[in-house]
Amino acid sequence: MAKKGERGRCATGIEGLDNVLGGGIPTSSIVLLAGSCGTGKTTLAFEYLVRGVISGEPGLLITTVETPDRMISNLPRFRFFEASMLVKSKLSIINLQEIIDSAGLSGSDMDEAAIKKLVAVIAKLVVAHKAKRLVIDTIDSVLMEIKDETLSSMLMADLSAALHRSECTAMLVSSAEKCDRIEGRVADGIIMMDNLERRWVLLRTMQVVKMKGTSHSRSRYVIDLTDAGVLVTPLLKGGV
Amino acid sequence: MTENLHSMIATKLEEVGPSTAVAFEIKIDSYFDAVRGILDDFSSGKDLVCVYITASVPSSTLNAALEALEVKVKDLRFVDCISHTLMASMEDSENTAFVESPTMLENIILKVEYFYRLAQGKKMLVVLDSVNSFALHNENKMLTEFLTILTNSLKAKEAYPVLLAIPDQLRPETRETMAMICDVIIPL
Repeated sequence: MAKKGERGRCATGIEGLDNVLGGGIPTSSIVLLAGSCGTGKTTLAFEYLVRGVISGEPGLLITTVETPDRMISNLPRFRFFEASMLVKSKLSIINLQEIIDSAGLSGSDMDEAAIKKLVAVIAKLVVAHKAKRLVIDTIDSVLMEIKDETLSSMLMADLSAALHRSECTAMLVSSAEKCDRIEGRVADGIIMMDNLERRWVLLRTMQVVKMKGTSHSRSRYVIDLTDAGVLVTPLLKGGV
Repeated sequence: MTENLHSMIATKLEEVGPSTAVAFEIKIDSYFDAVRGILDDFSSGKDLVCVYITASVPSSTLNAALEALEVKVKDLRFVDCISHTLMASMEDSENTAFVESPTMLENIILKVEYFYRLAQGKKMLVVLDSVNSFALHNENKMLTEFLTILTNSLKAKEAYPVLLAIPDQLRPETRETMAMICDVIIPL
């Protein structure tokens, strides 16, 4: 329950992450989930959606690289995931190409008008699916089509405004290894995922770098991707 | 004598109760007797989920030894931190979680957490075998931090954290760490 004057929280359902965030992501935020390959971004984002469904919040996943079927087959078999979540449209998975085609944007340059159209289609989908949680995996595929930084910034701002109207909280997956790109500057929150090498073995790590509207830990945590969900523990300080 | 050791271990653990970090200082020749006392007499008797963290002997060897001793523990899980390093066989099993090396201490904590989630509220006994092996692979500062986090999180879960150590082979700083972290040290 939010205190007076405080924004409500979207509890991710990922216990360790919610503890780090002091209860969850402030509602309607756009959070960038960034990091290099193999760090667990897609798995964490998917658990965020599945946990949402379990707590009664429908979710929408927009894939930009893999087809929905392939994406599902590559994810860990969460014990708490049920295929019926997909059938009953509590969790909808849509390929970006379908959105681009439906908006008539195929082959066109991503100019201001195209961006506005794209955001409008995404916003419409959020409303149609009654989605309270949105994941775009990855946002890079969208942003790389936009050459002008001002337009990238506009896309993020328009998306943020649209999601705010629907009280939808979003995670945008990005392969950025630093958070100084335009999407990082505009996002309300940044969660950096990384691979930490210790004695020639890789540890998956997670660090909340920024989260507007809440105080949060900025420590680095080690994560494990299991069928019981993403597990989180503090990185031992003597280990770096 | 052996039967006395079994029942003594179970009695001691019963006396200290959950949420208490206990270290058993064992002699190398009574190692399996001690393990049997913890797993058979205590864990099975109380219907606990037992998570056995091994950095000394691969889980497959331990399992075979327990079978030979006719010790049947219903809910026994292994966090095996040594098979990868030894390139030993690592058969896929729901009851065993492999960690690449005894230096990946955070991953060990996470595997214990994993089994805790699967236990769904059932009380747990967590055995760390052994302090000596972990001291061999890790600097004392890291080991201290690891044992502190592990035992405290287990205490919070009302589990039974049990550390095994062979006292003759412990370095003084490791002994100090153990004394600092454990609520009770029981020489056997």
